[in-house]
Amino acid sequence: MDFILNPFVTLLTFLYSVFNHDMVLAIIVFTVLVRLLTFPLTAQQQRSSAAMQKLQPELKKLQDKYKNDREKLAQEQMRLYREYGINPLGGCLPMVIQFPIFIALYEAIIVSLATTPLQLLNLSNRLLIPGLSSVIPLENIWLGMNLAVAPNLGSISLSNPLTIIPIVLIILVVFTTWLQFKVTTPPAVPNDDGKPNQAAAMSQSMGTIMPLMYGFFALSFSIGLSLYFIASNTIGIIQYALMGKADFRRIFNIGGAASKPVDLPPLSKVESRASKPVKRTNSSDKTAPKTDAVVKRTNSGDKTAPKTDAVVKRTNSGDKTAPKTDNAN
Amino acid sequence: MVLLKRLLTYGAIVVVGLMAGACVGLPTESSWGDVSLIGSPAKILFSFSDRIVQIDPADGKPVKLLDSDGKVRVDDSGNPRTWVLLSPTGSTVHYYTRPVQTDDQTLIAGVYEDKLYQVDAAAARIDKTDGIALPGHVIGNPLLTDNLLYVPISEGGLVALNRSDFSQAWRFIGDNAKGIWSQPLLVDGTLYVSAMNHFLFALDAATGTEKWKVDLGGALASTPVYANGALYIGSFGHEVYKVALNGTIAAQYSTSDWVWGAPTVVDNMVYATDLGGNVYALKDSGSSLDLVWTRKVATAAIRMSPFVDGDTMVVGSRDHNVYWISRTTGDAINDSGGKPITRAMNGEVLSNILLIPSTDANADPTIIVSTIDKSELLVAFSLSTGERRWVYSS
Repeated sequence: MDFILNPFVTLLTFLYSVFNHDMVLAIIVFTVLVRLLTFPLTAQQQRSSAAMQKLQPELKKLQDKYKNDREKLAQEQMRLYREYGINPLGGCLPMVIQFPIFIALYEAIIVSLATTPLQLLNLSNRLLIPGLSSVIPLENIWLGMNLAVAPNLGSISLSNPLTIIPIVLIILVVFTTWLQFKVTTPPAVPNDDGKPNQAAAMSQSMGTIMPLMYGFFALSFSIGLSLYFIASNTIGIIQYALMGKADFRRIFNIGGAASKPVDLPPLSKVESRASKPVKRTNSSDKTAPKTDAVVKRTNSGDKTAPKTDAVVKRTNSGDKTAPKTDNAN
Repeated sequence: MVLLKRLLTYGAIVVVGLMAGACVGLPTESSWGDVSLIGSPAKILFSFSDRIVQIDPADGKPVKLLDSDGKVRVDDSGNPRTWVLLSPTGSTVHYYTRPVQTDDQTLIAGVYEDKLYQVDAAAARIDKTDGIALPGHVIGNPLLTDNLLYVPISEGGLVALNRSDFSQAWRFIGDNAKGIWSQPLLVDGTLYVSAMNHFLFALDAATGTEKWKVDLGGALASTPVYANGALYIGSFGHEVYKVALNGTIAAQYSTSDWVWGAPTVVDNMVYATDLGGNVYALKDSGSSLDLVWTRKVATAAIRMSPFVDGDTMVVGSRDHNVYWISRTTGDAINDSGGKPITRAMNGEVLSNILLIPSTDANADPTIIVSTIDKSELLVAFSLSTGERRWVYSS
């Protein structure tokens, strides 16, 4: 973990020194930078999640059809995944890769805000740039609050508006966590009987539990972490909005949008999952860029086509030499 | 698969929560213990974590509590009671500093939880469980004078309390001096205070009025040392300084890493350690600190002040080792078999070493090394041979 944590701690401390010892600004910029670096992973995860969501009705039909034959069900599910070029683990892998990064990011803030002798001693061997020791210890007071400690709700006084800030931060943590979850979770596709399917039901419960849990974290842990949660959630929302997939009208039920039936794109064996699909028409095209987007092959002789985890439609069934993709074969 | 991803998300939340729990708020330990001597005949007073204990320097066993007749006190079960001070009833506190003795019967103990407690020394009991409220954590040793008790606050400056009733006489938080992690030094009516905001302050000890301050380029976590008419102190800015009593920097020497422990000054030699595991011997030539020798002794940080007695220097490190080296050359001191005297410990060695002077019964002085591992909270070694004499564990 140190190989991730130490650069993060150094970067955060460096930003602190660059931004005139403003810890809050350093945390926000630090979070933005790390989220940008992990954006390709986030985007891939979200694409995969959306594709899986679209397959839910088909999977439900298979479950109903083969409910007494688990082996056959598994075979048919895998066939379905292959048919639509979906890697069922495609959304998990980016998440697994991101775990240590986000945990390190989270821990970097705690480590950098060291307030006790042992914490500061541990910080001493994490700074990879010697000159940064001149800014230690980092200033952790912001608007009268100690960023390194949990909010003290007992100090709230209406006569001093600054004491209300911890409450505002907790509310913002809960709200942005909820909003990010809503934005990034594809709309639920109900079963034929109109009831939410199992995944959708679980998503709904997650949508309630996660914000409350993060609110509890914000209440229990340092205020600096609340700032990180808010910044991280906000960046996640902005990222998804920039991808054009944030439907705020649905989320906030503007104009009755939430009550309307979910309008998912029709499920098809050829799905556009990237903004710039690559269409190959010439087998000699060896310079085509790698992509996780749609690859439509029209020539079976293309042995150099890049690997892809995307949907692949083959127009030549006799293509036995085409390279395997991560998802489709 | 959706279910799997959700479970992974749940897992991530749990992991993050556990990590947060481990890292935020009051950690398992916030600091390391303090070892000192008290009373006559001297007993070891050891403050660590949630307790203060008195240890017999002869055998490392807890001192038994005696009543006014000199008989051993017993608990409700008839077992002998030992001198151990725990948290006041109904709360948990952490002692990282040595208590100060206000009279034969009373100790004043500062705790991490923003309080001072008056302790009945004979009974090892806190008299008033409410304690005396402070504006922050106590991780630096308080200093007691005839009239005032100076308490450094980890994030709240320096508080001077009237000794008579512990009311606040004054508080120094000037120029953002907020973080004071070490005991102030009193010399001729002037209080020298090292602060984490990089400044060394000189204050009027009676009023707290600032006389001067000097920026030493890095956090100051140790008490300045007064010797040769000047102050010596190390900083996180990779420097050891000699500061004149008027606040001007008389000399300085650049080290490889943060200097946390206070230098040890013997005659005109200044010995310092750094968090890179290095030890330095510097000659004070008046206007300069000249390097005599330096050695990378340990593979991890040395936080403590170098312990020096005669030609023997002993330092402990975060690498779990205690090293005996020659003060004159910096080379390792060998045992009778020709091997360097290095003692492996179970935990990191962070506290300063305590010397138990030689007695008629034992001419070879004992040194007390403290680790942060509960199986070896205190270990007594022969100063001359490194022989292990006893261990106190929790």
